[in-house]
Amino acid sequence: MKYLIPFLLASTAIIACEPQNSDNSSNTDKAEDSPAFASTYKPQASSDVLLKNATLIDGVSKEERKGSLLIIDGRIGFVGSGEIPEGVTELDLEGRYVTPGIIDIHSHLGNYPSPSVQAHGDGNEVTSPITSEVSAEHGVWPQDPGFDEALQGGITTLHILPGSANLFGGRGVTLRNVPSRTVQGMKFPDAPYTLKMACGENPKRVYGNKGGPGSRMGNVAGYRKNWIKAAAYKAKRDKGGDFDRDLQLETLADVLDGKILIQMHCYRADEMVQILDIAKEFDYKVTTFHHAVEAYKIGDYLAESDTCAAMWADWGAFKMESFDYINENIPFVHAAGACAMIHSDDQNNIQRLNQEVAKTWADGNRAGLNITKAEAWQWLSTNPAKALGILDETGTLEAGKRADLVIWDGDPFSTYGRPDTVMLDGAVLFDRATGLKPKSDFRLGYADLTEGAE
Amino acid sequence: MRNLLLLTAAIAFSSAANAQTYFVDDATVVAPNGTQSKTDIIVVDGVIKGRGARLSAPNGAITVSGGWVTPGLFASMSSLGMTDIGSSGPGNDVSSENSPTNVSEHAADSFNPRSVHVGNIRQSGITHAVIAPRSSGDSIFAGTGAVISLTGKFDSVLDPEAFVMVDMGETGTIRAGGSRAASMSQFRAAIEDAEGFFKRYAERSDGGDVLSRQDARAFSRAVRGDIPLLIRVNRAADIMRLIDLKAENRGLDMIIVGGAEAWEVADELSAANIRVIFDPLKNLPTSFESVGSRLDNVAFLESAGVDYAISNLTSLGVTKPANLAQHAGAAVVEGLRWDQAFKAISSVPASWFGVDETSVVVWDGDPLEVTSAPIAMSINGEDQSMTSRQKALRDRYNPTTQDNRAHKYR
Repeated sequence: MKYLIPFLLASTAIIACEPQNSDNSSNTDKAEDSPAFASTYKPQASSDVLLKNATLIDGVSKEERKGSLLIIDGRIGFVGSGEIPEGVTELDLEGRYVTPGIIDIHSHLGNYPSPSVQAHGDGNEVTSPITSEVSAEHGVWPQDPGFDEALQGGITTLHILPGSANLFGGRGVTLRNVPSRTVQGMKFPDAPYTLKMACGENPKRVYGNKGGPGSRMGNVAGYRKNWIKAAAYKAKRDKGGDFDRDLQLETLADVLDGKILIQMHCYRADEMVQILDIAKEFDYKVTTFHHAVEAYKIGDYLAESDTCAAMWADWGAFKMESFDYINENIPFVHAAGACAMIHSDDQNNIQRLNQEVAKTWADGNRAGLNITKAEAWQWLSTNPAKALGILDETGTLEAGKRADLVIWDGDPFSTYGRPDTVMLDGAVLFDRATGLKPKSDFRLGYADLTEGAE
Repeated sequence: MRNLLLLTAAIAFSSAANAQTYFVDDATVVAPNGTQSKTDIIVVDGVIKGRGARLSAPNGAITVSGGWVTPGLFASMSSLGMTDIGSSGPGNDVSSENSPTNVSEHAADSFNPRSVHVGNIRQSGITHAVIAPRSSGDSIFAGTGAVISLTGKFDSVLDPEAFVMVDMGETGTIRAGGSRAASMSQFRAAIEDAEGFFKRYAERSDGGDVLSRQDARAFSRAVRGDIPLLIRVNRAADIMRLIDLKAENRGLDMIIVGGAEAWEVADELSAANIRVIFDPLKNLPTSFESVGSRLDNVAFLESAGVDYAISNLTSLGVTKPANLAQHAGAAVVEGLRWDQAFKAISSVPASWFGVDETSVVVWDGDPLEVTSAPIAMSINGEDQSMTSRQKALRDRYNPTTQDNRAHKYR
């Protein structure tokens, strides 16, 4: 493998100063759609490469297959076989696995970064149960060393959410996992914003003695009161003409318009079904339930409402609403025909989400299911991309998509398998053999203590 | 693999109470020292009843191919049986914010062997564990920890006074009032209180400097070196201060818990004969006391000859031991030999804490693989139930089965 990366890096130096073409098209002309903090992400330079003799898990098919994958202009040219342009470098992977880059739909990297000193706690606006006016991106520290370690684990895209103290926590942001001085430089171009909402124990615990909500009843009343306000605001906005802009209601009105996707922290089965009824009442969609420890009890409801569930493999019992955790949650939801996926919510687990999926996949099959590894891979990239509204750009290995992928040194469903090479838009961002790995500013000055590229 | 998985599914639905015989064809057998050999194994009710090349399957036995047979795993740090859920409240005995005592509080008194987590965690092949309290209030001393087996029975506390738990580093700093100087001062004063117990508490009535009478008495065994001190600490400089403390008090038997920067002082730890319980997944500078965290910490400890055990110290709460084998597997990826990693989650900590019970776990694959799971297990020759609350929930909502009961939930 040592030969692959020096070649790619060498070409990088040549192309680095040329402007890239594909990502400059964000809606700078439409102030309404992209009012501020527009993405400045630009793919790093890449080479046109044919990865041949690979074992491909593409995130779509139920079976893995042998074949080649062409990367051209940072995009996937073909998967399997196809016409090979002249002058493309061919690299023999000798059967190693190639998968889509992993997408974590629930991360707090950057807004609860390392070191986790109090001054870094920027993920929860714990001042009111309704804070839909805030955005996670304004609390993301791009120098969080956790981004680099997540990249080493194959994470190419991640979604940063506000915490779960509030009924309406604020907007989430989808990031490319690249080293950057600014969060704008990481923002996934044209990815929709999301709205973090929270069920259950957290809001009522945090606000029980601060004016409420103090119970699950108060939680539901809080959602409904604010959707009523949002509907009125939207009606006024739709009419046009002069009206006072309200950041809090603007986010909710954008949800009602289908422009912002709801990502809702919710553990209990009965509570998730209550939420689906509220969504019907106010005519909006819950895109994903997060944590969803009891999702396995209501797979049919999730399938029927086309609502995804983002889950852990085996976390639970850290509070009452997570007491009923089972290791087969993801495969059981999948078997019900609903959109299931893994998530980390953790700076350590994000580094090995493939192993988390391997665990739950094996437990699901032990319980009698018959799911292939290739099918289970949907829980790592395809379904998170769908739930973030970016599936047309990434999440699977399909022609035309961004070349976000991982080359593994072994079986990604094994304790012993690790990423060898991680690419975003065809550019090599991590490479084990050459030691290429981003190193945040925070890591500097400890050069004798930690490894990694300067 | 596929047939095996279907097979084990079938097993799971049969009652665990029934006598069960397994024929493990060409099993990989792991000795307590971690070495592997191949042989056929017959397991009846979790106990090995036959072993040898070319055995044949007994009548009615379930044949397992690709199986492994190992000693049970030992979780060298846990709060099993001390809490039902992680949130604070009367169901959580891990720490005692409002009590006036510390070392004299025994985790064994909090331990509930009937906790569902004991059964849940046993399903991961864990047969024995350390249980330890956490410090609270203004004391760096969390209490006295115990060693348990995971039988779920009332006689499963093997040693109720196995060690004294101490929080140093940043946590100890908070407890002692705001600085490392304060936490070291409290530590030294407590040692003197315990050493001078009779003078300070019995002969005169003026008492000790930092410990109450019952805490000083409870601390005496650790100060004499009869039981170890488990000390949570991560920063290399803090570890060096503890090495100094041990030089001043040669009787102390220290085991470091955490040790994120232990690799920096591996030679010193080895020379001071201080053991380390660490987590091979710890690689982030989550605080200033762990800026030197790195995945290959273990390689330095191994080459310096430090005695170490592997634990899950990074993830959440009471269920941590479930992923013990995954964390040991991470050490193998960092270059540790398989047998070394396996010992670090079984025989090494078991011997530290004096566990002499035998245990057997039959696995459907390499126990360090995330895709593997136990099929049968025994502790001290007694078959262990392979059911748990988690598995009962799984079976109730399993989409591959029919639920025809009158009161069904799906």
